[in-house]
Amino acid sequence: MAGEARLGSIEGNRASGLVATLPEPSSRPRRPWQSRLDLETVVTGSAILALMVLVVAPALSLVWASFKTGDGIGVGNYDSVLSSRADLRALGNSLRLGAYVALFSLLIALPMAWAAARTNMPGKNFSKLTATLAYLTPPFLSAIAFVNLFSPNAGLYSVFVTDVLGAPWLKFNIFSMAGMVLVTVPHTFPFIYLLAVSALHSVDASYEESAQILGAGRLRTALSITMPLVAPSVLAGILIAFVNAIALFGSQAIIGVPGRIFTMPTRIYQLFDYPPEYGLASATSLIMVAITLVALYVQRAYLARRSFVTLSGKGSRPGLIALGQTARWCLFGLTLLVFIGAVLAPYLTLLAVSFSKSWGLAFWKNLTLDNYRFVIFDFEQTRRGLANSFILSIAAATLVVLLGTVISWIDLRTRIPGRKALDYISLVPLGLPGIVMAVALLQFWLRVPLPLYGTLWILLLAYLARFVPLGVRAAGASLRQIDPSLEESARILGASWGTTMRYITLPLARPGLFAGWLLVFVPALQELSASVLLYSSDSITLSVAIFNLYETGYSEAVAAMSIVNIIVISIAITIAYKLGGLKSAEMTP
Amino acid sequence: MSGIRLAGLTKSYGGADVAAVTGLDLAIDSNCFLTLLGPSGCGKTTTLRMIAGYIKPDAGRIEVGGRLLSSPEHVVPPEQRGMGMVFQNYAIWPHMSVHDNVAFGLKLRKLSKAEIERRVGAVLELVNLAGYESRLPGQLSGGQQQRVALARSIVVEPSILLLDEPLSNLDAKLRERMRDELKQLQRRTGITFIYVTHDQAEALALSDQIAVLDKGRLQQFGPPAEIYGRPANRTVADFMGLINLLAGRVLNRNGSSGEIETEAGWRGRLDLPPAILAGAAIELAVRPEAIRLVPAAADSAFTGRIADQTFLGNLVELMVEVGSGTLLRVESHPRQKFSTGERVAIALDESELSVFARAEPNEG
Repeated sequence: MAGEARLGSIEGNRASGLVATLPEPSSRPRRPWQSRLDLETVVTGSAILALMVLVVAPALSLVWASFKTGDGIGVGNYDSVLSSRADLRALGNSLRLGAYVALFSLLIALPMAWAAARTNMPGKNFSKLTATLAYLTPPFLSAIAFVNLFSPNAGLYSVFVTDVLGAPWLKFNIFSMAGMVLVTVPHTFPFIYLLAVSALHSVDASYEESAQILGAGRLRTALSITMPLVAPSVLAGILIAFVNAIALFGSQAIIGVPGRIFTMPTRIYQLFDYPPEYGLASATSLIMVAITLVALYVQRAYLARRSFVTLSGKGSRPGLIALGQTARWCLFGLTLLVFIGAVLAPYLTLLAVSFSKSWGLAFWKNLTLDNYRFVIFDFEQTRRGLANSFILSIAAATLVVLLGTVISWIDLRTRIPGRKALDYISLVPLGLPGIVMAVALLQFWLRVPLPLYGTLWILLLAYLARFVPLGVRAAGASLRQIDPSLEESARILGASWGTTMRYITLPLARPGLFAGWLLVFVPALQELSASVLLYSSDSITLSVAIFNLYETGYSEAVAAMSIVNIIVISIAITIAYKLGGLKSAEMTP
Repeated sequence: MSGIRLAGLTKSYGGADVAAVTGLDLAIDSNCFLTLLGPSGCGKTTTLRMIAGYIKPDAGRIEVGGRLLSSPEHVVPPEQRGMGMVFQNYAIWPHMSVHDNVAFGLKLRKLSKAEIERRVGAVLELVNLAGYESRLPGQLSGGQQQRVALARSIVVEPSILLLDEPLSNLDAKLRERMRDELKQLQRRTGITFIYVTHDQAEALALSDQIAVLDKGRLQQFGPPAEIYGRPANRTVADFMGLINLLAGRVLNRNGSSGEIETEAGWRGRLDLPPAILAGAAIELAVRPEAIRLVPAAADSAFTGRIADQTFLGNLVELMVEVGSGTLLRVESHPRQKFSTGERVAIALDESELSVFARAEPNEG
């Protein structure tokens, strides 16, 4: 029998003892300390140590400062904050801003994501492009753009409705809560959109088909089966949108401060005006940390009850829903509207401003390239900022994703005591506005005898600390989708921890990790709120250079520099996608 | 060379109160097909994962070929055990082709490229997947994925292969075919199979030895015929298939045997476990196929009335009403015809009867 003959050959080899080629632990002389010092221990230990230095030490410095008053240790700072009308109003404004932004982000992102992932809507790539471009647009640049449109006196739209239409009641004042929401939502809805799309892709069609066969209509199925399955991802997105909206310093400074609407980050910034009130600022930011931790706790409690391991050893098969012509084009219309508001309007405005001699209704009569000549050739901070921003962003994104992967892996796959605490610690920076992170870092690193201040190193530390939550979230979401048996089956075949990570875990997590890398790289390239306090003339970054220029009021040059910034970002991202993204796109059916 | 010994193996989750496995002792011969059988939550998967090295025991030890692999102090990691494992969900890596999945373990062993190709080709032919080398797992059916998982595990020629309910995700026909293939594979390769299932028919068909677990404790260990025919206790008897239980009492006892009378009217002399004394309340367990029916005669000692009968093709299932209204399930040959209501004499095959202690109902 042929089968037996083949088998004979396999049996024949058994004698040669393949198993013996695997290292036998008993034959290897090992001392107790040696057996513990394997790669897994070294890597996880370093990650934990890094998290302590990056997050815990500065955060503790911050807590310490918040309790330090003029006459010793006490709660005097908290007392002042909670009894001050201005501080309470700032707290209220931040919460309102976060809630509005989360709500509108959800309303935009969910239908868009569902349409792109599970229906036959036309222009799916356009939908993804819209979310990507909206996310990539630095919020403080859209804020600058919208100020050029809607500022009550000089904004193009305001001038148009007043002078041309003679209808000043049509004016929209950008310096308001509505204005802040308007410039923030384009930056935050992609968080929900991207997470929802990838979750929707991984929902097997059989779940929906079994609801349909039981008599549930299309809408009913979407609401009672699909949405609950993707709810954990969507909730994570809402949470990220909320905390990001609260923590964005740049747009709140550009929009809120002129409108006298202070939020917690701008209030903290105000507290650093001379003489700096470290104690009050620290107390205020710790109140923000508390808000964030509550939100995170709610999300985790929800996730713990419903965890859906959807990427099992068997492949999943997402199904597409055939919509009628009207519904298809309505969804496309929504996508188009978002594209115009979140991408086209700010970009066109910045382009127009950048080419005009003097911004106004008749700007197109006096076009010039002078602004570009100035920012590229005369303003030497541009090139230095560019180089610094690139070095920082690539280093930060890579290190953060690696760190996040190890931290999530510890949380999800090991039984190390305190691993949950590790996960929480990694999320703490979400509650720290960049400017507060900068102060925390300064307070800690100025006490350490290392000459970091004024160098790129302290900026890198700030970036790592700021973005570590994004890395942990992205890696956690990816790893959670990988059934542990996929790793276990490699181990039993003889793969060490390192080999398993390299050939199984990381390749499987790669699409998610690459998304995480971009999620860090892009905001790092635009980081403003921490850099603005930590930079020196040698370590200036691109966005600080833009912000410095904006402070001088030269809006045409600012626009030109913003365009340069955007072009640079687009090139960088295109290259990044070409290098790592195409294969991951192929893998998702 | 690769006999496995489990000694006092204990594991509990979330504190001592939730014991998954308690004091498990097992000696598994090499080249043996052993099945860990039990209802879900009985600790069989935990045991398997302890043998694989994924879980560290709270107490006890695991030795293979005399080498200590697991103890509460030290666990040799899975990758250094040279075992294979097939997971319930197959755990085929979705980002690798069939070929790459199967070749993974061979590459780890640093075999030459030609050797790897030869073995991958041979093992894929063995599991009837030749020609599927470049497919991705998403393009395979469940049965094919299962066979990739199997090929991936046996291609490295482990001395021990662990299988965690590998057939539970397959349809019945495929399950039966794969069952035969697994059995043949084990017999031919001589790999020690440790197989976890909750399906007693699967266990009986496949195994050389079965270990029945319940609530984390070993209930019985032995060859299939013994487990089926002479269950050690009521839990095992219940779990191994349909069984009739007749309440009764020990009338007297001398030596290893004793006289028994059941409430239904059967009397006989049987070997008794030492713990059951004269006067003790017992249950007599008898399989439906260990009962023979003949038309009742005047001197028949134990009789009943046919209450119902169901034709099942290769056999007839009869419900026989005996004294005190108890219904006895009997399997009989279709050629033996009875009419419903007919009185029959009942003969029990005494070599296939088991006696268990019975808790007496509280009276008063």
